[in-house]
Amino acid sequence: MRKLDPWLLLAALAISVGSYLAQSSTAKALATPGFANRQIVWLAVGGVLILLFAFTDYRVLARLSPFLYVASIGVLAAMFVIAPVRAGTHRWLLFGSFTVQPSDFARIATILAVAALAGEHRNDLLDLRTVARLAAMVGVPALLVLLQPDLGTAVTFGPILLAALWLGGLPWRAWVGLALAGLVVVACAWFWVLRPYQQERILTFVDPDRAPYSSGYQQRQSKIAVGSGEVTGKGLQSGTQSQLRFLPAQYTDFIFAVWAEETGFVGSALLLAAYALMVYRVFVIALSARDRVGAIFAGCAAAVLGTQILVNVGMVTGLAPTTGITLPLLSYGGSSVVATCIVLGILQSIWRLRYANI
Amino acid sequence: MTFVRDDLRPLQRRVAALLAAVGVLFALIAARLWVLQVVQGPRWRTAAENNRLRRLPLEAPRGMVTDIHGEVILDNRPTYQLLLFPEEMTNRARTAAFLTALGIAPAEEIAARLDKACRTSHLPSVIADNLTWPQVAAVAAHRAEYHELDVHPATRRSLPDGAAVAHLVGQLGEVSPEQLAADPALRSGQLVGRSGLERAYQDVLGGTPGNLVVVVDAFGKQVSALDEEPPVAGRPLRTTIDLNLQKEAAAAMAGQVGAVVALDPRDGAVRVLLSQPAFDPELFAGHLEPAKWHELVDDPLKPLHDRALQALYPPGSTIKPLFAAGALRDGVRTPADTFFCTGAVNIYGHLYHCWKKGGHGRVALEDAIEVSCDSFFYHLAHDAGIDRLASWARTFGLGSATGIELGGENTGLVPDDAWSRKARGHPWYGGETISVGIGQGPILVTPIQLAVAYSALVNGGLLVQPHLVEGRGVPPRPTGLPAAVLATVQDAMARVVAGSRGTARRLAALDVRIAGKTGTSQVMRKQEGVSWQQLPWDERHHALFVGYAPVGAPALVVVVVVEHGGDAASVAAPIAGRILERAFGPRTEGQAVTASVAPAKWPAPPGANRAPSPAPSAAAAPPAGRAPGTPVVPAAALSRIAAAHNPTRR
Repeated sequence: MRKLDPWLLLAALAISVGSYLAQSSTAKALATPGFANRQIVWLAVGGVLILLFAFTDYRVLARLSPFLYVASIGVLAAMFVIAPVRAGTHRWLLFGSFTVQPSDFARIATILAVAALAGEHRNDLLDLRTVARLAAMVGVPALLVLLQPDLGTAVTFGPILLAALWLGGLPWRAWVGLALAGLVVVACAWFWVLRPYQQERILTFVDPDRAPYSSGYQQRQSKIAVGSGEVTGKGLQSGTQSQLRFLPAQYTDFIFAVWAEETGFVGSALLLAAYALMVYRVFVIALSARDRVGAIFAGCAAAVLGTQILVNVGMVTGLAPTTGITLPLLSYGGSSVVATCIVLGILQSIWRLRYANI
Repeated sequence: MTFVRDDLRPLQRRVAALLAAVGVLFALIAARLWVLQVVQGPRWRTAAENNRLRRLPLEAPRGMVTDIHGEVILDNRPTYQLLLFPEEMTNRARTAAFLTALGIAPAEEIAARLDKACRTSHLPSVIADNLTWPQVAAVAAHRAEYHELDVHPATRRSLPDGAAVAHLVGQLGEVSPEQLAADPALRSGQLVGRSGLERAYQDVLGGTPGNLVVVVDAFGKQVSALDEEPPVAGRPLRTTIDLNLQKEAAAAMAGQVGAVVALDPRDGAVRVLLSQPAFDPELFAGHLEPAKWHELVDDPLKPLHDRALQALYPPGSTIKPLFAAGALRDGVRTPADTFFCTGAVNIYGHLYHCWKKGGHGRVALEDAIEVSCDSFFYHLAHDAGIDRLASWARTFGLGSATGIELGGENTGLVPDDAWSRKARGHPWYGGETISVGIGQGPILVTPIQLAVAYSALVNGGLLVQPHLVEGRGVPPRPTGLPAAVLATVQDAMARVVAGSRGTARRLAALDVRIAGKTGTSQVMRKQEGVSWQQLPWDERHHALFVGYAPVGAPALVVVVVVEHGGDAASVAAPIAGRILERAFGPRTEGQAVTASVAPAKWPAPPGANRAPSPAPSAAAAPPAGRAPGTPVVPAAALSRIAAAHNPTRR
């Protein structure tokens, strides 16, 4: 245990406590008392997984990554057949009363595969072939997830590729090319991939008065919740926006708004600090990794976690459009919590083995 | 084995750069939280409060109005209102369709009400009141779909005696934007008095509306009541009206057009204030539909017009006792002066006819009042001159408002030379003076003015201010008429009923001793050889009678004006007699007080007969809105009146 990073554990623990408190609040608002308790169970399972993966050698996982990756692509492809349509998407697999979101785990496999590939590349700059392989490696699962459709999770694959390319090294001309390609992809996505409701969300984000009662409504209610918490908040389980159900998707995407409303700036700043500490420690792990694979895995993980936190809190506070990105550990959901903990465990493994000579 | 480690330094530099970028973004998010929660916090808190708190207006029940004996004139009954919260409305067309389907009002009316409600979008508006049970149930059943609608208990005015007190009580109406701006206690859509007692005593009857602050969830469901600021009910108002007499007057006037005013001459307390035809006050108890309003406004008989206070009539012969008193006071005549009536008087080379063709022979002042001799008063008017006639009329309060609390009173007209020059641009013609002498020509009075003038004749010469609530009138002002003068005129008025030649001698048969004066004011020039019954309704003379009783110590002065009644003695006097008998006669319910009084001769439709109990007319279907049972004016006359009000059709 002494070999693990205490700061990363502390950050995860602090966020877990916040998660339980916030989930208890929404459980009361939505009259679903089981939710907060189940979240605690998932967090406990996550804690065990952190230790399990911390004491596994991440290099073994990296070596296994091609298999893990192919298996997860297989599952994602099979989703269109085996996953029942729920809420209009093939997002979840059902095991009895449990739902599992395979895309959360596919993301880990993708990060591992990307780290393994980019880590083997020993030159200072990536060559074109590797870039193409990395792009395909991230693009295939991202596309499969996007087609489920699950824009929020698909978006979280983006930072994996960008971080891998950045850390692997590209000449500046390539970044220009990439930016142009990105523009083309965004334009194509707008016209052919995004559903009308997704387009509407983005338009509403650009112009909030466009539809005050539909997609703008969610974001407005969220801003009211966060802002009305003021400095010290309305007290746990006493937020009017959450308790009276003005907040949409409270226990998943907008859970931060529940916390911010009830604990005010003090609480939301503390929670943001815990996330900042977590991401900072992941970067520290990336800096102290013994090899390229570990460094790139940690860097990509930091990019994904950072993106999730920044986009989610940005969405809740009206800085980003509503995309359905969950907040790691805080949002309700077994898959999300467990997947995040697995990543944290692998990161602990990288930290534990930072001085290892073999 | 030598293990060659990769050179990780370039990679680490890039990790550090990424860390820096992420750090900047975290700082940005932290700043955003600072702005939202600390800088803009209070603003968002208000937004959250607006989200969850609904301020429901609680209408204050208006005060009860009773008569002098405590009988209820005006009360409230419970009802249900439909409130609309415009900010909650997402699809206006859908809401409008739902309201139309409920049968609340026609579609265009619903659209107009929604328009109005949206103008004050932060406040709920009353979309409909007086909901039926099925409507209440339908709204409750659909409340999940229509968050913007809410049924709310309220009260509604109820008038047990309806049309009999319609003008007296007056109308309620939605508060005007100007009133709203002037009085912050008022609320948009609130009903306030617009006429009658409801307006005059708005401050007493109105009360103060309250608020109920309730917490609602995102689906509009009421979670809890947070705060209640209860409404303060309006205070009860006890009036001087005698409801029994008011109802008697309404029954006696059934089918007629005109007004009845009864005052206690000693202090000016109003006992009866009636205008006919009346409107259905139930229409004004809530929110009036424009269509109904226009129907009332366009009614040629003008049921909204309060004739008791606003209608102007030539006083006709009812002016004679007033001029007689003036003449006696100023020495223009003495009680012993006589005049020989030949049936006509030649003044300025023009022949002025007495109403009695053969003339009254030699008459003194008292005789002239008893028989209502025109010739005597032509001669008197000629001797006095218009300015003196005008001053006598003004002595009795004519030409100025009586000051009764109800607004909209007309001041009438007392013409003189100055008025003629100013209003007509030419000097007064001497010939007109002669007509004014018998209450014709430009002189115009309101029924309430006549009541005040006669009160002064019988109460010892005091000009009272008529009032509807005890203690409201200013103290009576002395007119300075000597007691002897008043006694002479009172004797003469007693002879109008009691005398063998009195114009109202038919009232002598009543159980109550009455005195008074008839008056028949010309509408059209008299046609020789045509009896009034043969004339079309709207060309007949107005029939007036002012009576009082008991003769020795008068306690009630009654003014009856029947428009186009034709004949004062047979139409107006019996109505006054009926009221006075009700006031002072044997108090047996259902007694046929009118037995000795001949009913009006002109054809009244069946059902409008006045004895023994005036059942509402079913035969003469009235225009909607006018009070049932009142209009019995022949249809031909109605169309003529309508034509007269519409010059293009002439």
